[in-house]
Amino acid sequence: MKPYDVCIIGSGAGASAVAHTLINAGKRVVILERGDFYREKDFSKDEIAYCKRDIVTPNLQESYHTIESFWQGKWVKTPTYITENSFFNGNVVGGSSNFMSGYFHRLKPKDFKLLSTYGAIKGANIVDWAIDYETLEPYYTQVEQQVGVSGSVTPYAHQEPRSTSDFPYPPLAEHPISQHIDKASKQLGFVPYRTPRAILSQAHAKRDACYYSNYCGSYGCSSGAKGSARAALLQPILDDPNLTIITHAFVKRLVEKNKEVTHATYVDTRTHQEHAITATLFVVAAQAVESSRLLLNSKSSNFPNGLANNSGQVGKNLLFSAGGVGTGEFDASIMPLGDLLQEGLFVNRSLCDWYFTDTMKGGVIDFLFEHANPISQASKQRWEGGELLWGERLQEKILRKFTQTRQLNFEVFNDWLPTDNCFVSVDERYKDIYGVPVANIRIGSHPHDLKVGRFLAQKAEAVMRAMGAKRVQSAISPYPPANLQAGGCRFGEDPKNSVLNPHCQAHEVNNLYVADGSFMPTGGSVPFTWTIYANGFRVGEHIRRLLT
Amino acid sequence: MKTTLTRRIFITSGILAGTSLLLLPKSTKKAMTIEPFKIIEAVQEVLFPKGLQAPAASEFGAINYLAVVSSDRSFVKNDLKLLKEGAKKLIEQEPHFLRMTPQEQDQALRHFTQSKLGQNWTSLLLYYTLEALLSDPIYGGNRDQKGWQWLHHHTGKPQPQKPFGVRL
Repeated sequence: MKPYDVCIIGSGAGASAVAHTLINAGKRVVILERGDFYREKDFSKDEIAYCKRDIVTPNLQESYHTIESFWQGKWVKTPTYITENSFFNGNVVGGSSNFMSGYFHRLKPKDFKLLSTYGAIKGANIVDWAIDYETLEPYYTQVEQQVGVSGSVTPYAHQEPRSTSDFPYPPLAEHPISQHIDKASKQLGFVPYRTPRAILSQAHAKRDACYYSNYCGSYGCSSGAKGSARAALLQPILDDPNLTIITHAFVKRLVEKNKEVTHATYVDTRTHQEHAITATLFVVAAQAVESSRLLLNSKSSNFPNGLANNSGQVGKNLLFSAGGVGTGEFDASIMPLGDLLQEGLFVNRSLCDWYFTDTMKGGVIDFLFEHANPISQASKQRWEGGELLWGERLQEKILRKFTQTRQLNFEVFNDWLPTDNCFVSVDERYKDIYGVPVANIRIGSHPHDLKVGRFLAQKAEAVMRAMGAKRVQSAISPYPPANLQAGGCRFGEDPKNSVLNPHCQAHEVNNLYVADGSFMPTGGSVPFTWTIYANGFRVGEHIRRLLT
Repeated sequence: MKTTLTRRIFITSGILAGTSLLLLPKSTKKAMTIEPFKIIEAVQEVLFPKGLQAPAASEFGAINYLAVVSSDRSFVKNDLKLLKEGAKKLIEQEPHFLRMTPQEQDQALRHFTQSKLGQNWTSLLLYYTLEALLSDPIYGGNRDQKGWQWLHHHTGKPQPQKPFGVRL
């Protein structure tokens, strides 16, 4: 008998949802996590460690990506150890969910049928999903309960069907500026939408409620309120004798025989020694880019182009979130400074009125205060136009920034259309210190994404101006946020143009599943995390039935 | 890391005052040459002088901070190279920089930043000076929380008990 029923590569949202489901069904599960195991007590609000250095991500001299961008008429690869712009996101137990802000939105029914709803767009590989919203809905609800989502349902035109009337946790405490957003939005005829958050407003089991630390996004949570995969799904099953978590385990390849995975070969990143794990079934969930990389690097005579890749589809149609950010500055003219500068409280407002328009798929606008991070805030002040400020002028500007004003930001999320020029590949010329080719990420975005992003940014700017904000501006970018990754191993019915079947099982390898965001053929116009959790529960349930 | 030793060459025990010395590996304490960090220290005082309320770079421990963080493997090694090379360039262009009055130093730095290299270097050094001002005091800057106090900033809790995200 094999020592494990299931070997899961990665421990983030998708991986942990599978593990949680299988452990509760009595299965023997091993998780291979590349990074360390940080618990609540290990996390602190240290801006240097968590925002300014590669501490919870690999040192870029040791492992990196190449970013392929279009430059002067051709595609050029640049290693991230040169740009210092890491595409790793939280390599610790629980993955990048430890460091998310937890803006939680479900996909809408029409997101599953984008091609049928809006038709084709030239240069974009839009398809309908292999499942519909109704299939995923029970799992979205499961996430609300088990990961924990706080909020209240806002009725509006595109509200998705729900099987429960409201969220299981009441809304988090809100900053008075939220009422100003409400007022301005209503004046403009928009519906202010209360943003659901994967943060507990009330204690549950061994997780404490949010303590409003004011240092949330990018930081690990010290109370367990944030719905990280670690706090919500792994810590409750840690004592189960059927669960094994191996940390510092970087999986180099999956080894296959007769089109079945026999074992995972991993290297201990501390000792550089190789080990093998055998199991009945393997689940890859290392975040989209790294999952595709692992399959592409797992070559064999049956799969000369990488595991489960005789279709050539592995790594293709990589997705990010399109859109961008905008800002507006507020001062004592909107409310007393003491109220404006009040720390820790959440804004929790979105605009979703244009999630769908008559002519095109739109997206979501989330409002949030600029992160507390003082180094980041202060260092941005050193440039004024093209001039570098220092001395007294800089000091005055920084002091005013911190004590007289507050910056409200908005983030625009819209679909990153899948294209032939956004994919993961591997290149023997670029290897990490373990001798494994790193992932090359070609980043080609569709011009339509910018059009939608700008349309949404104008709406958000209008709200900012109606509120009385100063210095309102926005930047919609064709360059992606590194932390919002999906696609690369599309699911679908046809093995010729998808990697996974509707259960997220590899078409070509029966005992191989992919359970992170890789399966998504289109990304929707929201952060992916809730959908990754929900699909992880769905895949876990499928595997549970299979193994029973 | 292969590069660790070269990164530490310019760090000297003479610069490292106070408790943060305890954070450094023993080999770091051995002095090799002091000069680039002396120049950097002087420029930091121009970039962030004593203000009406603002603490000076020397008061909040800017050079001390740089010595501590640049000796850790998490520091971008190219940044340290750039910082040292720029300091040498400044002295080549302004040989008397260390003996100038603060006003003369400010003028000299303005002249130096006319070049792209000079501007990039000054911006990078200013960035690390602001890190020193507003990072957790565990790294040797923000001495007595002078940076946070100046800006009425309340840091998030818990504060780090160990630097560089080391687990407890």
